[in-house]
Amino acid sequence: MLGEYFSDVWIEGEVSNFKAYPSGHLYFALKDEGSQLQAVCFRHSAHRLKFALEDGMLVIGHGRLEVYQPSGKYQAILDAVEPKGLGALQKAFEQLKRRLEKEGLFATERKRALPSLPRTVGIVTSPAGAAIHDMLRTLRLHRAHVKVVLFPAQVQGEGAAERIAEGIATLSARPEIDVVIVGRGGGSIEDLWPFNEEAVARAIAASRVPVISGVGHETDFTIADFVADVRAATPTAAAQLVAEAWEELETRLSDLATQLLESLQQVLFEKEQAIDGLARHRAFDLVAACLAELGHKVERMTGTVEGATRTKLSVTVAALTTLDDRLNRQNPVAQVLRRKVALQGLAARLEKPVLALLFRQGARLGQAGAGLDVLSPLASLGRGYSICLKADGSVVSRIGHVRTSEDVRLRVSDGSIDCRVERTGKTDTGGY
Amino acid sequence: MSKSEKPTEAVDFEKALAELEGIVKQLEAGNLALERSLALFERGVQLARACKEKLAEAELKVSQLVKDKQGLFSEEAFKEDKD
Repeated sequence: MLGEYFSDVWIEGEVSNFKAYPSGHLYFALKDEGSQLQAVCFRHSAHRLKFALEDGMLVIGHGRLEVYQPSGKYQAILDAVEPKGLGALQKAFEQLKRRLEKEGLFATERKRALPSLPRTVGIVTSPAGAAIHDMLRTLRLHRAHVKVVLFPAQVQGEGAAERIAEGIATLSARPEIDVVIVGRGGGSIEDLWPFNEEAVARAIAASRVPVISGVGHETDFTIADFVADVRAATPTAAAQLVAEAWEELETRLSDLATQLLESLQQVLFEKEQAIDGLARHRAFDLVAACLAELGHKVERMTGTVEGATRTKLSVTVAALTTLDDRLNRQNPVAQVLRRKVALQGLAARLEKPVLALLFRQGARLGQAGAGLDVLSPLASLGRGYSICLKADGSVVSRIGHVRTSEDVRLRVSDGSIDCRVERTGKTDTGGY
Repeated sequence: MSKSEKPTEAVDFEKALAELEGIVKQLEAGNLALERSLALFERGVQLARACKEKLAEAELKVSQLVKDKQGLFSEEAFKEDKD
């Protein structure tokens, strides 16, 4: 009877003595400074509340008044309750956020790093929305070398949160997946609501692999964003995070290829310098001087010796010529020049793409380089030649180069012998 | 360079890059025989080329999970609604 007159009332007050029964019914009192009224929110209505009632909360309830017959007291049967001030969704958001934060679900130390090179990306979103389209376009644009496994999920309305949570769990359980993106395009706060629900938050927290959230626009923050290992401002930004690693890899690869080429050019340059240095080494001048001296000797011998000694001479000349030929054949300067030409050829080929040729050439050069030691002037010293040097380092090749009592140094294969000139004399065919 | 050292089909980018980095470091440090330098260089070129080729042929593969009657998920091709 009373309900007929008060079937559509709004009651404002502070929640007190709140009790939620296992049956799903909610019992509490609404009070102000001077009065209070018992209120009930039955299960079917309680279920529709977007936020949790708490003692001390200021609310406005809608319903009807009845008399609770066992006690004869008035009570309000409420079918809707809104928090006063904030909207219901906002209130629920704040409540869940506070609760999960307290649980440590947003803690920085929980956040996992994205895989350095994601290969298989799981995506939970609508197969028909703008988000999947944007994400696939972004991955293609940045040439991400990834496989995408989409979990098609309804992303708004009743049941969406459960579907999204199932998607995260299903994808993260697949061993090939190494990162999951969960998201949707922009929309109203109601559209984005599933991403503010506990089921999604729990699924993200439980995921085996890192989760990137990309929900709505830059300005939209959802609970999913707080729990996710990485929050991307939009679905496109989420895809970019995955693609970035591949772009970096491509840059690193071309940098390395350049460095590789430059380092080999440096190696070749240093080898060339070494060979040039060797070719300019004064030791080679000494060998040349020795050869010249031999030549003069032959000339003098030819000029001064006649008749009876001719046979002996021709034998000596023949021996000397052979020696001279041998030395010429092995002339290190010529060898070095040949090798330098080969090296320059090698350097030139480096610019060309035909690398195989380069390696053949290089191998030949390596062998030639190894042979170089054999031809060093030291080997000539080893055969019994010595070089006579004055104190200023100049080579003594004629008797006129030295004075009596002058100190000279003989360079032999394994060291040097310091000597003093006693006397000098012209070459005597009868001498040694 | 033996054949077995050539990068395989399923080239592991990270491994290949790490090896390439090592090669560049060795070459840059110098003090290597020419033959060794060239062998390293050849290996480096092989690695770089294999990675580049793999990257170049990259085409985005997209599949979707579909629930069958037993409630199990199977993968099938995902057809995008193009603009």
